[in-house]
Amino acid sequence: MAKSSKDEIHYLLLKLHSLTGIVPIGAFLVVHLCVNSLRTVGVWPYQLSIDAINNLPFLLIIEITFIYIPLLFHSVMGFYVIHLGKTNAHRYRHPRNGLYTLQRVSGAVVFVFLIYHLGTTVAPKLWEGKHYFEAAPFLIDILNGEFQTWQGMVIYTIGIISATFHFSNGLWGFCVSWGILIGQNAQRNGAIVFAMVGLALTVLGMATIGEFNMNPVPVEATVAR
Amino acid sequence: MIEKPAMTEKNIIIKIKRQDKPASSAYWQTFEVPHRPFANIISCLMEIQKSPTTGNGETVSPVTWDSNCLEEVCGSCTMLINGQVRQACTALVDNLTTPITLEPMSKFPVVRDLQVDRERMFKNLKKVKAWIDIDGSHDIGEGPIMQDQDRAKRYIMSECMTCGCCLEACPQFTMDNSFLGAATFNQVRLFNLHPTGEMKKEERLDAVMGEGGITDCGNAQVCVEVCPKNIPLTESIADIGRQTTWQAIKNLFTK
Repeated sequence: MAKSSKDEIHYLLLKLHSLTGIVPIGAFLVVHLCVNSLRTVGVWPYQLSIDAINNLPFLLIIEITFIYIPLLFHSVMGFYVIHLGKTNAHRYRHPRNGLYTLQRVSGAVVFVFLIYHLGTTVAPKLWEGKHYFEAAPFLIDILNGEFQTWQGMVIYTIGIISATFHFSNGLWGFCVSWGILIGQNAQRNGAIVFAMVGLALTVLGMATIGEFNMNPVPVEATVAR
Repeated sequence: MIEKPAMTEKNIIIKIKRQDKPASSAYWQTFEVPHRPFANIISCLMEIQKSPTTGNGETVSPVTWDSNCLEEVCGSCTMLINGQVRQACTALVDNLTTPITLEPMSKFPVVRDLQVDRERMFKNLKKVKAWIDIDGSHDIGEGPIMQDQDRAKRYIMSECMTCGCCLEACPQFTMDNSFLGAATFNQVRLFNLHPTGEMKKEERLDAVMGEGGITDCGNAQVCVEVCPKNIPLTESIADIGRQTTWQAIKNLFTK
């Protein structure tokens, strides 16, 4: 029986959905949370890291290719995946079934959060044309303001926890779907390791927004235009 | 020694979701049967069949159901008992909370009352060529010898009775999609592990690499929790995940 190309495309798209969640999106999440956590060390190293990123050559092209396009693809496919199934965790109360539901909920939450997050940071940065060394003081000023309100703290707390959960649970899902973790013990041990990864990333994120909240420091551009 | 549950005068109330025809709508009826120790759901249904009278004294048509082996080997009496999918023959009333609710499986078309049509499962077995080719018009000779550890692995997988519990409990398996489901993926692994069956390995993997195939599994892993035969379904799914991943990589470079 000849296989239709529709089936091949379906397989490829879902495989890519799973892969893009790890690289580049998951990798970006780890780097993003790690770099931002420099804020807990001090404003200076934090500003330096933003300066470094904003002085990268072809920054916008890199961002579009390795972040925005994969993110949009992963989101669109994610909503398609949600549409494929019908959650039943209320009826079959098993831990993994709960995580199945949470993976879908967290994905949708992160999608909404990212619209907000990009809308308050990247969008004004591009709109106002703040590039190179001008980006850091502009962005830090916005974030200092956001984290002074309880609404901002709540939004970021929910957003970060959803993202770290979605990533660490997705890492496990990736390893099972691609056949890296096969045995029941291997799957359980993998879940423990990824839970610790998720916890570490959550702590990193919480520490960063905590530091912003308690210690907002305005900064000047490192190098004046 | 099993302690015999006390004989009581109490009746057991059983609520049954009924449906007269495949296309008609479902309705609920309540029946009462005398409590007997060690009674299972099938014996309660037989009791109802004797005189199908509902709780309010109305005589109705007898409730229909499927059953055969009565020892959890054939899978035909699979239904929702108190909302959970399982075989009615091994569901003892003494272990169930009352009133007991009985519903037909929700992921397969209802034939009548508690009977469902599980043809989709058998179609799926055909799709993935869940068999081993034997001699045709000519003798193709002896097959290769199976290693003992493979035989042991295959034994537990071969216990699948196509009851459909794994599919009923699966959040990815719905009436309006074409998901193959855990039972089918387990058969692909079972026959790919057979030395003669392995000769059709690529065809089987091809059949699960598309819409409704292995990529549609969401790893909710309810299948393995509800499987009455304790088949390591999630291992089978992950193994088919590995086999199809290698197959896809191979296809990228050789097709």
